[in-house]
This record gives sequence, structure tokens and C-alpha cells, in this order.
Amino acid sequence: MRRALPYLLSLPALLVCIGILIPFFTAVYYSLLRFRLNLPAMKGFIWFDNYINFLSDAAFWNTVKISLVYAGLTVGVELLLGLGIALLLQKPTRFNNIASILLLLPLMTAPALAALMWKLMTNPNFGILSYFVSLLGFHDFKWASDPSTALFTVTLVDVWVYTPFIMILLLAGLRSLPKAPFEAAALDGVPRSFVFFRITLPMLLPYIITASLFRLLDSIQQFDIVYSMTQGGPGDRLMVFQVQSYLEFFQYTNVGRSAALLIVLWAITYLLSNIFIKQWLKLRERAHGGA
Amino acid sequence: MPHLELASISKSFKSNKVLDDISLAADAGEIVVIFGPSGTGKTVLLRLIAGVEEPTAGTISIDDQDMADVAPEHRDVGMAFQNFALFPHFDAFENIATPLRARAQSAAQIKEGVARVAKLLKIDHVLSHAPRQLSNGQKQRTALARALASSPKLLLLDDPLRNVDAKLRFEMRLELPRLLREAKSTVLYVTQDYKEAMALADRIAVLAHGKFVQVATPEEIYRHPATVNVARLFGDPTINLVETVVGEGATIDLAGETVEIDKAYAGLKGRSVTFGVRPEAVALGDGAGLKAQVMAVTPLNERTVLLLQTKGGAELLASLPSSSPAIPKAESEVTISFNPIGSHLFDRETGATHAKGRA
Amino acid sequence: MDHTSTLEQVIRGVLITCVLVFFLFPIFWIVLMSFQTNETILRIPPSIVFEPTLSNYSALITGRLESAAGNLDIAFMKNLWNSFFLSASSVLIALVLGIPAAYAFARFRFRLGEDIAFTLLSFRFAPPLLVLLPLSLYFKQLGLTNTYIGLIWVYQLICLPLILWIVRGYFEDISPDIEHAYRISGNSWLKTFWKIAVPLAKPGIAAAGLLAFIFAWNNFVFALILASADKQPVTVGALAFVTASGIQYGQIAAAIVLSIAPTLALALYAQRYLVEGLSLGAVKG
Repeated sequence: MRRALPYLLSLPALLVCIGILIPFFTAVYYSLLRFRLNLPAMKGFIWFDNYINFLSDAAFWNTVKISLVYAGLTVGVELLLGLGIALLLQKPTRFNNIASILLLLPLMTAPALAALMWKLMTNPNFGILSYFVSLLGFHDFKWASDPSTALFTVTLVDVWVYTPFIMILLLAGLRSLPKAPFEAAALDGVPRSFVFFRITLPMLLPYIITASLFRLLDSIQQFDIVYSMTQGGPGDRLMVFQVQSYLEFFQYTNVGRSAALLIVLWAITYLLSNIFIKQWLKLRERAHGGA
Repeated sequence: MPHLELASISKSFKSNKVLDDISLAADAGEIVVIFGPSGTGKTVLLRLIAGVEEPTAGTISIDDQDMADVAPEHRDVGMAFQNFALFPHFDAFENIATPLRARAQSAAQIKEGVARVAKLLKIDHVLSHAPRQLSNGQKQRTALARALASSPKLLLLDDPLRNVDAKLRFEMRLELPRLLREAKSTVLYVTQDYKEAMALADRIAVLAHGKFVQVATPEEIYRHPATVNVARLFGDPTINLVETVVGEGATIDLAGETVEIDKAYAGLKGRSVTFGVRPEAVALGDGAGLKAQVMAVTPLNERTVLLLQTKGGAELLASLPSSSPAIPKAESEVTISFNPIGSHLFDRETGATHAKGRA
Repeated sequence: MDHTSTLEQVIRGVLITCVLVFFLFPIFWIVLMSFQTNETILRIPPSIVFEPTLSNYSALITGRLESAAGNLDIAFMKNLWNSFFLSASSVLIALVLGIPAAYAFARFRFRLGEDIAFTLLSFRFAPPLLVLLPLSLYFKQLGLTNTYIGLIWVYQLICLPLILWIVRGYFEDISPDIEHAYRISGNSWLKTFWKIAVPLAKPGIAAAGLLAFIFAWNNFVFALILASADKQPVTVGALAFVTASGIQYGQIAAAIVLSIAPTLALALYAQRYLVEGLSLGAVKG
């Protein structure tokens, strides 16, 4: 009984693992099939044809490109903005603490609903943002429905939702840095730009890497915002991985191709997450050791 | 029938063997001090007895009953931890009451039981405090009170004075023997302070490298240390040790001079040994014999310690009662001899004490 | 030590104000919209001066939306209830199952535990559709599509790992000696878990539970794939709402406000736990 206890207790977690692993391996299996829900008779094993077909498929490469651009763009902007805000709010004054709490609100808003909020604000008829840009001289600014500004608009929403996440992590990091090097630098009259680039930034680097990898992993598979905002459009302008495979599955009922797309995405995130987990465990150890 | 019996206990963590084939029997009401430097597995031994760790090999019996399948809560053991391990979300009263509650006593009994040990340990005025509001000394007393509260048959005390300040440690060292006698429990007491061990123990078990080097009464350990290490661990100032060779007719070479030692060692001629002499066994006089210069005179508690140097350059410590009428001055010259009762020869290879052969 | 100039303080103040405006204005504006009729919403230029009306909310609550095209029945309150029911029961179940498991992971070093922890961690970043799409086919076969039970089950994929990782960290921070002391005092393993480990990990449990609730509430894709209208939470329901023709803009805004209000209120109420949970979940684990 005493020895069985840990196994007994972790049973639910084991079930969840199985609940994840069975669909996962099913997806791997599907990705090797010609499998269309509307044409069950065609179902058959085709090995890696789904993947091989990707190589010459412009739609696939468009998906890869737009997913990477989306992830790079959103995380880049969020990182710069998040770092800037964290530096602004670094001093733990009452005002700064209240501000940092208020900044949590976008992060606590469901991304799908945040997309709808921005949709209302960018509505060409009554959207407040459409009105603002018209004051600046942009009269027919179409936001997410114009291919040339769709990426910008969706990035804006992503930035609105997720910048606070990076800000919170970096703020926690900044406030946990040891004081001594900064005091020494202040006494020696070291210029502040030097302090920032040579002391603050290097010491904050593990937090920056953790936060950005975390976000990168999420952003490359963004679904909620893109789907609620444009469903991948206009055209295929925002056809990121998960939106593409969702449509592939439900609209074109091409299960095999949809699964293969997801496996490709999974492989990318798997590589990234291995780097991330290593970094994260290192930081976790530090948080446990220090504090 | 011993109350607690450890038979061939071993404990390994992964490939690291912490305890190696340890045996010990303790009678009911006996206070056994487990003594040894830190990291020798003393705490692990207590945990094994308490049942929160399982031995890799060997059996632990209490009252002749094998404890292998007895859960910690059924062993009737009280334990005080080095870091106190108080329940932070209970006040001092509830901390102390825990063993009584677990034994399903009535509210009145619990109140009375807590009051009894709290009074004994002089913490009755802080019973309503949370652990974080207690001073270190009060924490330590609360932890002791919790261990004592249910009057367990076996008490395991893991260096309870380690984390308290010097003054309190001194007070407790005087107080604890009385407390433990009153508790009437069998006590296993872990410490790395030899004075604590000497003050409390019926017997001391010296642990080194996972094994008991010597298990004996404090006097026996001091008078007849089993190894050079035991001799070194007990005594302040520590025993004088000189590496040498036994010469003709129970003599040794001390930095070029031949010195007579206990005749009982005559049979060891030619052996490489470590000569050990307790500072209080270094007798001072004047007249003929081994001459030494007094280099420094330092009072230490009720004794005065002298640093001596022989002509050949060997340095020795001697200690005299401070009340002694004839304490030599620094720079003066004295004649020294070694009292056989405080002198030992240890084998240089094994460290074991050479028995004084009865020739 | 503090020699920041007045100019710098002014610049900082201005920048922080800009930041706050950017991040809070959308919420503020949607709340304003929710109290307006189409007439005032469509005014140009827009103005924050208007006569507030509760008609949008009353229409949502009664479920009868009057529009130019006639009367429309929309069960938005049902969506709201679904969100609440699904999130609350998922978190409750995840706590009941996850806390003991987190304890096992923290206290006993065993192979299976490490494997489970690793699997959950590596799938934390796997695309959700990878699991959901095959699951949707299995659910059809099992008859679990569009059932609360099926949804609560898959919501465990969000809630359970979160609770496991955060609570495990808190259990690891409790000195094992405290638990040992309680057991030696004469208490069973179960009682020690219940009276010592759980109360001492309470801040972690609160943080994890809160975060799990918010994540479950905010989830979109699970219900999009596995639920139809009558079981859908607000995240999915609101989307259908927008595309329904003839709905007043103020009503959409009111629906959004009602949908995000619970998580925002929770976040503000328990921000201390939340910040801890977020940074622990990400940094400390």
C-alpha cells in the first residue's frame, strides 16, 4: 500500500497523459493516410505523400511564412514594449503597482473576445479607431479586411493582449535583481546607458529569453485572435498553421492533410520547446535557490 | 530485554552509503547520545528509527517488535528536529497538543497535558503565539515540548540545541538532564558538541564514516578512547598528539629526546605509533627530566592552559586547575612528565588504541 | 540616492499615461458602447456624452433582441451559464485530482511521476488542434460530442497541468520535516496531507485554481470544435452573435462586457495570487 500510493495519486494525471497521447498518435497515423471525411471510400495508407505534397504546395509555404512572420512580429513588438513598460514601472511605488495590476486586464480578457472588441473599434461605420485614423487623413482605412493592413491589425490585437504577460515576467525579473551592482555603478558615476546595456540587460537576459520563447511558442500557433478576427483572410493573407488545418479539417474535410500540417507545426514547436524547457528549468532552479 | 534494538542497520541513498551495518541496543530509560561530526548520518539514523525513512538493510525493534511494517504514527516516538519543524499555521499550544490530539484525548486532558510540558519548559506565557512570533529559544522549547507532550516511550532528539544561541544552549545543557530523567523515556540524542554529549549521556555512541567507532559511558570514552579520532573529538583543549616510534623499554622519541612512557607499553618496541597525552595528564615539576619552556599561559574557564615547547621543538598543551598554587609564568622553564592515566598509544595505520599490555 | 530630474519624471509620467490609455481604452470604450443605442454609436464625430441606456443588457438578459428585422431569440445567458458551469466544474475536478498528484510528484521521486510531468510539460506547447481534431472524431464515436461531460473532460487538458505544475512547486517548498513531525506525533499519511500539506500550500492552490478558472473561461478552440450552440461558452457564443444579422452594436458590446467582466473582476480581486501564479507558472513552475 505504501509503495502503491504515489502511483495511485498520480493516476488522474496519467489518464490526462493518455488522453493526450492517444489523439496525438492518432493524428500521426492520420497524417499518413489519404483520409477525407466526405469520401470515406478513398481512405488509404499513403505513407509520407501528405508531407511530400507540401514541398510543392504554395499554400503550405504561405502558411509557414505567415506563421513565422506573425510569431516574429508579435513577439518582437511585445518584447520591446513589455521591456519598456517594465522599466517604467520598475520602482515599486503605489502608483506603479496599481498600474501594473491594471495592465493585467487585457491579459485576462479572452483573446477571442479581445478580437471582437477590436473588431467593433475598427468597424468602418462607427469604429472609434476608424474615426481616429480618419482625423489623421486616412479615410478609407479598412483595418483587418484590407490585405495590406490585416497583419498590422491582428498584430495590434495580439500586442494588446499579450504585452502584459511579458511585462509581468520582466517586472518580476527586474525587481528580483540584486541591488549591489547598481549601487556601485551609481556611486562610480557610470553613465546610465552603460548601466542598462552592461548590467541590467545581461542580468535580465534569462528572463527575457524565457518570456520570449514562451510567447514565441504560443504565437506561432495563434488561433483564437486570427480566427475571430479574419478566419485566416482576407484571402489567405493570415492563413496561419492552426487556422489552415482547422479549415482543412472542417471545411475541406481533408483529415490527412490537416493532420500532416499539425504534425509539421508540432515538430517546430517541439524543437523550440526543448530549448525553452531547458532555459526554464535553469531559471526555476535559480528561483528556488535564491529568493 | 533492551527497549530499542538496532540490528545491522544500513542505509544508502543511491550509491552513497550513509550508514553501514550499525547495531545498538538501548535499555528503557537510558539516554544514549549519538555523537559525531556533521554529515555522518546521525539525523538519518533518527529518521530510520522514527519510520520516516526505511533502512536499506537491517531491523529496528522496539520492545522486541520488528518495526519494518509499523508506520511512524504507530511507533509511540517523540521527535524534536534540528530545525524545530513547528507547524507554522498552528499556534504554540496546538503544536504541543498535536500528539495528544492524535491520541484522541479529551479536551481537558489535552489542556492539562500541554500545560504540564509548557510549565516544565517555561513557555506557558507564549502558548497563544504563532511559531513566527516566537524567539529561537522559544521555538526550540516548543519543539521539545511537542516531543515530550505524549510521554512517548522513545524520544529522538536531533541536535535540539544546534540552532539556539550560546547562552540558551548553556542553560539548556544544565536543564535537559533533569527534564529527560523526568520524562522517563528512552532517549536517543544527537549532537556534535562533546560537552553536551558528556553532560547528558548514560552512554555515548560515536559515529564516524557510517559506523559506530565506540559505544560506551562518557567516562570510558574519555579515559579509554577506542581510536585516535575519538580521543581527538572529546576534550578541550584537545589531546596532544605526536607521531613517533616506540623505542627500547617503553620509551618514545619526542622531537629528538627520549621520553619514558607507561611501562605497560613495553611490548610495542619498534612500532609506528601516535602518542597521545591529555593536557591535564601533562604533569609539571622542577628537577631532572624532560625540560620544556612555557610559551604562553591562557586561562580557560576553571582551568589554565599552558603552551609548552621542548628543546627539540615539540609543542604540547598542558592544563592545570586555575586554583593550583604553582602555575608557572610565561618564559619560565619546567620539567614535564606524562601521567599514565591520560596517555595513550594509537596505531599509526589504523588509528586504533593499543591496549596497555599487563606484563 | 535618488537623483531623477523633474524632466525625467514628467517624461515617465507621460509615457505611463500613454501605456495605460492604450491598454485600458478598448475596455473603457466597449463599456461605453454597451450603454448606447445604435443611434448614438453611429454618431460622427463620436462622443462620450450620451444618455445611457440599459436596454442592451435587458435584451440580453431576457433573450429577446428587438431589431429592424423583427424579434430575435438569442440564448446569450445560456452561453454565460455554460462558461461558468464548464470552468467551475473543470477547475473543481482538476483540483480534486490534481492536488494529490502534485503532492505525489513533489514528495515521492518515482519514475512514472517524472515521465508524466515531462509529457505534460512537453505537450504544454503542442498545438491544441493536434489533440482536438482526432479527439473530435473519437468523441463522435463515444457520443461525447456536445456534452458537458465531454467538454469538462477535455478542459482537464488545460486545468490539470496548470494545477500540477504550480501546486507541485508549493509542496516542494514545504519542509518535509514539518510533515514528518506531524506523522510522528501520531497522525496518518492522509491526515498529514490534509492538515499540513494542503493548508501550507493554500496560496499556491488559490493561485493555480484562479488561473485555471480564467484559462478555462477564456478558452475558445476546445468548445469551437467540440460543442454546438446549446453547450457553447461565451467565447464561442459571442462570435456567432456578431455574425447574426440585425443585431444592435450596443448589444454586441454588452455581450462582450458580460463575457469579460467575470475574469477581469476575478483578476482584480485576487491580483496578488494571480501575479504569483503567472510568474510561478512561467518562471518557477
